[in-house]
Amino acid sequence: MFLSTRAVKLSEQLMVPQFICSVVELIINRALSLSSKPITLSVMENKTLTLELAELNFPLSITVSNNELLVNGTNSTSDCTLISSIATLRQLKAKQQLTELIKQEQLDIQGDIKVAQQFARIAEELNIDWSTEIAKHIGDVPTHKLEQLSQKAKNSLSRLFESLEADVGEFLVHEKRLAVTNSEINRFNQGVEQVNEQLSHVESRLAALESLLNNCQ
Amino acid sequence: MSSVEKNSTPSQAQNDANSVADNTTHFGFQTIDKEEKISKVAGVFHSVAKQYDVMNDLMSFGIHRLWKRFTIDASGVRPGNKVLDLAGGTGDLTAKFSQLVGKEGQVVLADINSSMLNVGRDKLRDRGLVQNIEYVQANAEYLPFEENTFDIVTIAFGLRNVTDKDKALRSIFSVLKPGGRLLVLEFSKPEHEVLNKAYDFYSFNILPKMGELVAKDGESYQYLAESIRMHPNQETLKEMMDNAGFEQTSYKNLTGGIVALHKGYKF
Repeated sequence: MFLSTRAVKLSEQLMVPQFICSVVELIINRALSLSSKPITLSVMENKTLTLELAELNFPLSITVSNNELLVNGTNSTSDCTLISSIATLRQLKAKQQLTELIKQEQLDIQGDIKVAQQFARIAEELNIDWSTEIAKHIGDVPTHKLEQLSQKAKNSLSRLFESLEADVGEFLVHEKRLAVTNSEINRFNQGVEQVNEQLSHVESRLAALESLLNNCQ
Repeated sequence: MSSVEKNSTPSQAQNDANSVADNTTHFGFQTIDKEEKISKVAGVFHSVAKQYDVMNDLMSFGIHRLWKRFTIDASGVRPGNKVLDLAGGTGDLTAKFSQLVGKEGQVVLADINSSMLNVGRDKLRDRGLVQNIEYVQANAEYLPFEENTFDIVTIAFGLRNVTDKDKALRSIFSVLKPGGRLLVLEFSKPEHEVLNKAYDFYSFNILPKMGELVAKDGESYQYLAESIRMHPNQETLKEMMDNAGFEQTSYKNLTGGIVALHKGYKF
């Protein structure tokens, strides 16, 4: 994403990269600590994966250290660098997409790909039992109710999206062809105006003929 | 020990900053004997050590964490580096450096104040950070290390409390390896007048009250506000670093210049 020099300077002075890194680091480590299955990081000690995302004007380097993940905004000692965008990273969930995305130049991998795979394994192994975690704070019954509510909301939203998807699909595939286009409406309006003009002309001629007839009588 | 000679207003004190006699220095807005400053500063930090982290979060609204992160990002630290976190206090920078330099690297947390050092050591040990950290009680003016020892030296919110800043900068210069760099994170002069006024109001009216309320020590936080005003501004500190022998010195203003990060290399 293009950012002017002024915007970059302002972002630096407001320490936006440091803020984003802090938040990401906090979220990742919190998520790791909540995982129901303990995740072993020791084999990746001191390994660094750097993400250069199109949406950010600074890299996100993730380093394993002392059973924690450290996130910082530099890429001085990266073992593997992924150059991509957030949207493309989401597509990476489907493994067969990897080669295709590289071919389409939406993803570039520099360095040791095994490091990237090890970090991907962490994300895959992460399994948080949200019900248990929430119950620790608000109790079992409210958690159950909350779960039911969220399931209902999820189902409703899913139905809404399905219906929207179907309607949009129907519109694009069938109705759009039958629907009147703007140019057709314009042409119709022009036709109406022409008929209107012709009618006025006929009316004036009729009026002239009537007056002529009256004069003759 | 001599008693306080003079107690000035902020502007008077700033005007006097460069005109103190050789054997005197500033303790906030007061002019005192140089020998007296060490014990007075020690008194302040013995008093605030236990509440230091809480007060830092409160006073800066947590922004001090971002300033410190910025310093670490700017340090270019690599695995295997040897780092001196001078006036490291409760060890915020040491914790991060320790994780980034890895097993092959080393971090020395140095502070002149034993109370601060104890709080820092307990905090880091509680976090399991033990393998590559050493603790040294040291005066920045007389660093007890061999020449050309460290890749990186940082001093965060500590230089303004040092009695003879020029001597401390020369001492740091000598312990840095060629190619090593010094990073000074310190309160500085806000760039805009409106911010400066608001900052003054906050520092002299709200900050001491916060100190009184939380740390039960308003005086120490009054000193904090005064010592910030007496600290050299961005350009002066850069010049001092140049004079101490540092090269390619530069600084970056953070949060509108409330804090500045100075960086200089030894070649």
